[in-house]
Parts: sequence; C-alpha cells; structure tokens
Amino acid sequence: MKKLILSLIALLVTSSAYANGISGTVQFKGTAPAPEPLSMSADPTCAAAHSEPVYSQSVIVNDNGTLRNVFVYVKEGLEGKTFETPKESIEFDQKGCMYTPHVVGAQVGQKIQIMNSDNTLHNVHSLAEKSKQFNLGMPIQGMKLFKQFDSPEIMVKMKCDVHPWMSAYIGVLPHPYFSVTDNQGNFSIESIPAGDYVIEAWHETYGTQTQSVSVAEGEQIKVSFEFGV
Amino acid sequence: MPPSKNDNKLYSVEKTTFWFAIASVGLLVTLLLMLFQDHDREWKYYQREFVKLEREKTQEKLDEIIKNVNMEQLQRLKEELKEANFDFKQKQDQYNQLVKEKESIQLPLISAKNRYQDLKQYYDSYKFFFEEDNEAGEQKEAKAYQEKLEKTAVSLETAKEEMERLEKKQEDIDQAIRDLEAEQKTLTDKISAKLRDQERYQKKLEKLKPSVVKELLNAPMLDFMVPTLQIQQIVLEDLNDDFFFAKSNKIDRCTTCHLAIDQEGFEDAPQPFRTHPSLDLFLASNSPHPLEKIGCTVCHSGSGQSLSFTWAAHTPRDEVQAEEWKKEYHWHELEKWEAKMLPLQFTEASCTKCHQGVVDIPEAPKINHGRQLAREFGCFACHTVKGFSAEGGSASGGEGAWKVGPSLLNVKSKVDSDWMIRWLQAPKKFRASTRMPSVFHLENTSDQESKTLSNAGIKGISRYLMIHSGEVPLQSPPPKGNPETGQALIKEIGCLGCHSAEGVHVNDRGPELTGLGSKVSADWLYTWLKDPKHYSPETPMPNLRLSNQQAADITAYLLQDRNEAFESTGIPEVKEADVDQLAMSFLIGRMRESEAEETLSAMDADAKLQFVGKEMINRQGCFGCHDIQGFENAKRIGTELTKEGQKEITKLDFGFVEIPHSRQAWFFQKLKHPRSYDKGRVKPYQDKLRMPDFGLTDEQAEALTTFLLSLRTEDIPLEMQRQLNLDEQAIEAGRFLVNKYNCQGCHTLDGVEGRVRSLFEDLGNAPPVLDGEGAKVQEDWLFEFLHAPSTIRPWLKYHMPGFGLSEDELNALIQYFALLEHQKVSFAPSDISTDQDILTAGRQLFMQFKCIQCHQSAESPGLTASFLAPDLVISKDRLKPQWVVEWLKEPQRLQEGTMMPTFFADGTTPIADVLDGDWIKQIHALRDYMWQLTEEQAEAIKSANLAAKTN
Repeated sequence: MKKLILSLIALLVTSSAYANGISGTVQFKGTAPAPEPLSMSADPTCAAAHSEPVYSQSVIVNDNGTLRNVFVYVKEGLEGKTFETPKESIEFDQKGCMYTPHVVGAQVGQKIQIMNSDNTLHNVHSLAEKSKQFNLGMPIQGMKLFKQFDSPEIMVKMKCDVHPWMSAYIGVLPHPYFSVTDNQGNFSIESIPAGDYVIEAWHETYGTQTQSVSVAEGEQIKVSFEFGV
Repeated sequence: MPPSKNDNKLYSVEKTTFWFAIASVGLLVTLLLMLFQDHDREWKYYQREFVKLEREKTQEKLDEIIKNVNMEQLQRLKEELKEANFDFKQKQDQYNQLVKEKESIQLPLISAKNRYQDLKQYYDSYKFFFEEDNEAGEQKEAKAYQEKLEKTAVSLETAKEEMERLEKKQEDIDQAIRDLEAEQKTLTDKISAKLRDQERYQKKLEKLKPSVVKELLNAPMLDFMVPTLQIQQIVLEDLNDDFFFAKSNKIDRCTTCHLAIDQEGFEDAPQPFRTHPSLDLFLASNSPHPLEKIGCTVCHSGSGQSLSFTWAAHTPRDEVQAEEWKKEYHWHELEKWEAKMLPLQFTEASCTKCHQGVVDIPEAPKINHGRQLAREFGCFACHTVKGFSAEGGSASGGEGAWKVGPSLLNVKSKVDSDWMIRWLQAPKKFRASTRMPSVFHLENTSDQESKTLSNAGIKGISRYLMIHSGEVPLQSPPPKGNPETGQALIKEIGCLGCHSAEGVHVNDRGPELTGLGSKVSADWLYTWLKDPKHYSPETPMPNLRLSNQQAADITAYLLQDRNEAFESTGIPEVKEADVDQLAMSFLIGRMRESEAEETLSAMDADAKLQFVGKEMINRQGCFGCHDIQGFENAKRIGTELTKEGQKEITKLDFGFVEIPHSRQAWFFQKLKHPRSYDKGRVKPYQDKLRMPDFGLTDEQAEALTTFLLSLRTEDIPLEMQRQLNLDEQAIEAGRFLVNKYNCQGCHTLDGVEGRVRSLFEDLGNAPPVLDGEGAKVQEDWLFEFLHAPSTIRPWLKYHMPGFGLSEDELNALIQYFALLEHQKVSFAPSDISTDQDILTAGRQLFMQFKCIQCHQSAESPGLTASFLAPDLVISKDRLKPQWVVEWLKEPQRLQEGTMMPTFFADGTTPIADVLDGDWIKQIHALRDYMWQLTEEQAEAIKSANLAAKTN
C-alpha cells in the first residue's frame, strides 16, 4: 500500500515536471541592424529620464544572436475550446517615454492596467481594428486606467500622439497559450493540452512565420524560428 | 298562299334560303371566333403560368418545412398520442359513466335552479311590502309580511344549498372528464403546433390547385361573374394621363402579368414574374415610392393600360434583346407610339419628373453622373437647357460663375501661336485626359479639301486670338526653384485636391498636370501659381497662398515635363488661296457672290486670316467655353435642349446611319460620333455638322443620354413631387457651391469622403473632416475664414486656398453648414461665465491636463509638427461653446480617429481635488478659462511648463 502511494506521488511529480509544453528560441540570421537612436529632445521630461542614449525597440538583437520581442502563440488547434479570463491584470507602463513592455499578450476581456510613471502628458491611443479603439489622455504622474479588448487581434498597435517615437504591440487571444521572447531569445508556452497545433511567431519588423507541431501527453516540444534579412 | 315556283317574284326563295343559311353559319362561326379571340388573351396565359409557379414555390416551401420538422420528435409525439388513446380506451367505461352521471344531474340541477329563482322572487316581494308597510305605520300588514318573509327565508336557504350542491357535483364531473382527456389533448396540441406551417401551406396549395369549378368560372360567357383570372389594375388618383383634350386618372395594369413584382421570394423567377430589384426604395408600402401611390409607368413609361407585351410598349435594352423578344413574344416596335417604355438602363431619366431643385438625386447615380458630365464638359455653353446655366451650374448659377474653359482674354501671355495651332489640330495629342473636344479633322472633315480649309481656319483662329489678346505683366521666379521640392509640394500642398498629377487620379476637376514644359513659360507659371486671378480674374483656380520659394519650386518641377511628340508635330502649310476659299464660303452665306468677291479683295492677307479666324470661332462657338474678345454678347450656337427628351423622332435626322429609330439610340450615336449623321451626305464645308468630339466613353455617353432623356416637361401635380422646404432649399444651394468649388476634393463632408484622404497614411495630416462643422464653429468666424483663410493647424502641409467667394456665396455656405447640423444660424457672440473661482479652477485644470503640450501656436519649439493641435487662444473666436463641452466629454464620438485623447475616461476625472472631482463642472471650467485665454497667458503657461520639466 505504502509502495503504491509512493509510486503515485512519484508519478504526479514527474508528470507535473514534464507537463505538455512548447518552448524554444528565435534566432536572428545575418548582421544585426545598427540600433536606431531616439531623440527625445522634443519633451525635456523624456530626455531627462535617460542618462544613456535610447534606441528604438523595433529590432532588438540579443547578445547571443537571438531576437527579442517576438510574439509566439498558438494560431490553430484550439478552435471550439473556451478558456477562462484571468482575474489578474496585465501591466502596461509608460516610463521614460517608452512603453514597458514593448510587446505583450493578453486574453480577450483581460484587464490591462495602463500606468503613467512620467511627469508628462501621455496619451495612449489604441489602433485596434477588431475591438473599440480608445485614446486616453494621461496627464498626471502615477495615474492608472483599466482597459480591455473584446475581440482577438494580432496585433493591436498602441501609440502616443504626443511622443511619436512611442509604440507598443498587444497580442489579444482567446486562450492563454502565448509567449514573448526575452533577452535570451527564449519563449515558453506551458501546460498546453496534447494535440496538433499551428504556432505563429510575429515580429513587428520581420513579419510572421508559422510551424505545425504535435504535442503528445507529457511531452515538451522544442521549436525554433529564425528571422532576419 | 303557298310559295310556288311560278310566282312572279323578283327573287328566288330557294336561293335566298340557301344564302341565308350560309350567312347564318358564317355569322355563327364569326361569333364563335370573336368569342374565342376575346377569351384567348396573352395575360391569361401569364396568370395561369403564375399560378403554376406559385404552386411550385409553395410546394418547395412546404417540402422545406416538412424537411425541417423534427420527424423523430413528431413520431414520438404521435406514438405517445397512440398510447394516450389506448389508455383512454381502457378507461372508456369510467368516461361513459361520468358522461352518464353528468347527464343525469342535468334535470335536477335545472329544477333546483328554478326553485331557487322562484323563492327568491317571493322573498324579494315580501321584503318590499314589509318595508313599505312598516314605513307607512301599517303595523298589522307589516307583521303579516314579516312572518311570510321569515318562513320564505328558511325554504330559500334550503333551495340554495341544494342548487349549490348540484352545481359542485357537475363541476367535479367536468373536471374528472377533463382529467381523463388531458393527456390526449396536450399531445394533439403539440402535434398541431408542429404542423401549423405545414397546414397553412397545404391549404394554400389546395387553393392553387386547378379545378373544374375554376375552369368553369373562367370559361367564355361565364367569366363575367367571379373569374379567378382577372385583370389587375392600379388607379392612381393623384396622377393623370393626358389625352390631349381630357385628363383622366392614371391607370397601370402592369401587375396583371407582373404578378409578383412587389412580393419577396420571386427574385429568381423568370419574367414577367420576377420581384422588383429594390423593394425598399420602390413599391413596398413603407418605401418612398409605394406601388399604390406611384404605380409603374411614371418611372418606366409605356402604355399602362395595355395588356399585351407589344402594346404595353416594352422597349428592348439593345438589338440582341430585340431579337429575343421578336422570337419569344412576337414583339414589334410601335412606330407611332410616343410614350414608349424607357429601356431599363435609362429608367433614371424619369427621376427628374418629381425630384427637382437638387444637385444630386438620392440613389440615382446614372442621372447624377450625366448631369455632372453635362456641367463639366460644358454642354450648356452651346445648348440652352432651362434650369441649367451656361457657367457650369444649375438654376442657382449666380454671380462668380465661370466658364468651363480657360479665359483667352490674355492668352498671348500664356502660349504662342504655334502651340495653339498644334493644340487645335488634336487637343488629345497634347493631353489625353483633356476635356477640350476635338473640333477639326473629324469623320466628316477628313477629306483633303476639308482638311485644307480646316487648317486655314485653325491658323485664322490662332491669329485672331493673338491679335485680340491683352497682355498681363509677368513676374520671374526670383529664387531658383528646386524641382525635387516642387515634386514633393505637388503632393503635399493641395494640388491633388483638384488636379491629376504624378499618376494620382483622385480628382480631375482641373487639367492634368502634364506636358507643361511644352506649353507655358516659367514666368507665366510662377505668376499664375502666386495669384491665378492676376492672369484671369474669372478662373476657378483658387489662390494657394504659396511662398515665393514654393511657387518657384513647383514651377521648376512642372516645366520639366515636356511632350516631345507634340512639340515635333509639324505646322501645316496654309496657302493664301485656301484662306480665300474659306473666307468666300463664309461670305457667300450672307451676300451675293459678286459682293463677296469684292469684300474679299478689299482685305489684305492678315485681315483675311483674322476674318476667317473670327468666323470660325463664331461657327464653332468657342466663346461658349472660353472668354474671347469680340464675342462678349454672342449667342449660344447649339440647339436648345430643354425638351429634347420628348422631341418627335421624325425631327431627328438619322441620315444613313443604321441604328434603331429611337431617341436614346440617336443621342448615344450623336454623343459618341457627333459627325456621323453626315455620312453619305453631299454638303459644302460650311454646312457640315459641327458638334465637336469629346471622346466620351460608352459609360459617359450612356449617362449623358439618360440626362438628355430626362429633359421633358411633364405634368406631375405639385403635391406628388418631392418638394423642398426652405431649409432643404438652402442646403441644396450650399451643395451646389460645394460641388462648384470641389470642397469634397479634399474634405469629408455631407456623406462624401474627401477624395484626397485615400492618399494619406496618417490621416492626422489630411485636410480636416468637415462633418459636424456647423455645430462646431461660430458662424461669423466661418464667414471670415472662408473669406480669407488663416492658419489653424500650422502642421498641416495642405493649404486651404482662398476661393474669392462672393458675399452671397459665403452666406449660402454658412447657412448650409449650420442647417446640415440642425443649428440656427446666429451671429451673436457667445455668453460664458467669468466667475473668478471657476476661472482659477479652470486655469489649474488647464495646467494639470497639460493642454498646452499639444495645443500651441505655430512657432513653438518642441514636438514634431504633425502632432500639434490648434492654438487654443483662437478658440473663443472660432468654436461654439457648447461644442467644446461635448468635444471634451468624448472626442472620439464627434470625430473618429482624432488624436485628441479622452481625459475623462468613462465619465471620471483623474483630478479629484478640483471642483469636487465633478467631471462636468471641470469641463465647463476648462472651457470658460479658454474663453479668456490670451496669447501672453498661453506663453506664460508654456514657459512655466518648460521650466518645471527641465528642472
């Protein structure tokens, strides 16, 4: 009996450790383009927030030759399934006249907490095509507003009309299976049910790529993408 | 006296009898044939066919319903019902028993009820007498009645109890019976609910089935009673048919065959049973043109009372259809019939019968296009059409109108005579898209003699225009222009709001900007761009308020484009004899030949040239579109077209051109090939047809034909026409100006998207949307702005040009903007709070919301130009106070896609400690503060802001 319980526990531990998932890296091919410096002199508050030069976030190649800010998500294979909307909100900050994060995913109906950490006027203008657009003025440092998107859309562009260099992208999906590559170029989609999927990687400058994968019970799939010129 | 052969009669009885017999038989046969012919009518065939079709459709519908019925469910219900019936049978005895019991108590119940009623009467009368006597003091009688009353009361009570007992018993029995039947009944109801639609259609189908009775009712001689096949007609009480000496109500019998014209569901049916293609606009009783009020022939024309395909005056859309009809319907053209049906592609010609006084008729694109083309191509410059003025407009032409072509009063300053000669030879060789028609060397003037004479005429025209031209002083571009900047400016500054250029064809109001290097000088173009009215005071080209450098850059760029093929075209040689011959042809038209020769010999070569030039201009009517010296009072040369749509066909000369003899065919041919009716005719040069060739496409010619067909005078009672109220008339006057000045070339307005807006990636840089302008800006500001535009959005590269509008035009436009937004036009100044506390709060909010960050005046350093917003110092003079409040509440609602953000998301404010955090109060305070904001205050706030930021 004891043995049985122990082996059951062991099974549980191993199965949670080896839960179904898709992970991998996005490589960058070719020579990385020279980072494009941003001039924030138009608004002294913005300029004062940075002691070092600031660069555009549209292409960021990590030191290990991988590409940052690639949105990887399950495009096909989850049709007809419904997923609960998470209670916790996504944080979306305007700090040093930059959006943090620059690329982020959210589920349909999930609250997005929009913050202004700067002592200047920002307006956060959503250019959503499938959800209602909004354009909110945020003149007060530290103020927060909550918004959400009502329909899936890859990707919703956000911009600030006061500071034209500011832009960000939000991927809105009806499910929680998405990820954004980090400063090592890694992404990881966890606890996905076994099945056949098409996953897509989206990058604001280099476009999209898709791959078909098959996830078996208890399997961790490795997928890699390669973007570049 | 018996007849005898020998009787001395003037006729033979046998023969008479014989012939009488033959005549009777003949008459009988004729009668039968008459009856048959009267009975056998085209429309009856269609009605029979329609019944068949309807039956098919009903059957289809029925099949579909049956298919959609959940058979499983129905089967289950039926089985349940069977079971219920079986159960019921089991309890049949019980049921019978109950019925019997119910019957058995019927009699006792009735007698109990009667007894109770009886006693009640006695009781009531005793009561009455007792009360009477008692009151009258007749004690004895009263006492007697009281006793009776008491005694009756007891028996009444007993009778009531008995009656109620029996009633209750009957109710119980009824309930028991209902309980027994309940299951059966619910099941039956459920089943019939499922089959209701099915039954309805089955019934309909039943009605549509052929039957002997119907055949009898429709039989000859019997069909006067209630035939199922009947003529359908709509009597239009408000519309008349004019039979020259008498008017009668219009009667349309089209629905006798077009039986489903106003019914949905026959969209794919074969004709004549097809549904009308737009029921929401026509025929439906809730549409603007209900069948019972408007009928059919008001729009389609034709003979509404006729019942045969041919006699209803159906008109085929083309030759192919005509052939089909001949085969299928034994159709032939009704040559003598005036009111023929309009072929379907021209039906919109009828809209103008009732819709007058509007620039565009709603939902009538073809007639609108036709009228617009007629204005743009300058049809009214040669042809009088009442209601349309020569100067590119409609009835309300008014002052400030201009001719379709450029003024030639100062043409010497613009082009040279060689260019003019090449241009007149073939304008389209210089610019394919030009609206200038080809006048010479067309199909009736392409023989050698005509060509020679035309060339002499062209040379004469050019000579005449050069001699009779003034000269304007031209400026040279002081700085050297940069063509690259010029190219960018063409796209950025607003040229594309009227002209095609750079392969962009969103507007073609002005000429396409090509080949200018082969046409004009740098000085002319520079001077023109700086101030078009300097060269031509009447020009529609507005002043774009260009700087010297901008004008120089654009000049440099436009002159780079040359049309070399055009430049290398030879100038035809013209001999003096040719000029003489042409001059003579003009002269002999008005004097004897000998006098003509004398007149001619009195002229020197140059005078002759000028003479033929002037005569040629006169003959071709060039002055209709161009201002030309010496032709200030010349009369239009073309036929008046006011009633062209009803011109007798016999008055149209078809010549030897083989086309159907109909107005539309004649118009179309004339528009496409204006000289073709001269084919095969022998005519001297001066008598040849002279309408020029506009190079119209088939689509354009069809639209213009529609317009020509619409030119009729029709007797439609006033109350049946679409009448405009005063506000609507004012709006139409505005629409006329909006069209004339091409406002929608740049601005989105009145339901039309600004045509240049499609060229912008970032609509923040596009000319502003003017929807809602009447609610937004103050009337006196708008007046001033349109009069002399000033910069509101310094970051916009597009320039609002100055159109030089007259005061009447300005007022009409202001009315138009206001009325579109249901605003009252008011030039009264706005009334705003000046309470010091409110203003202080307003200032604080103004600072905290950082309004100044985007709304700053032009020269401010800082943000990228395209992210700026209008200077708020001018708001008090420009905006309507109530509009500002609505705008601040939610800018996106008033103007989708605006960069102005919402500061009061979902009716909340981020600033809680001002004016109790009440967002509406805050909005009003902001507005009131803005109304006293001065340039200095704005500057002070800006520098305070800047200082705070840099520290």
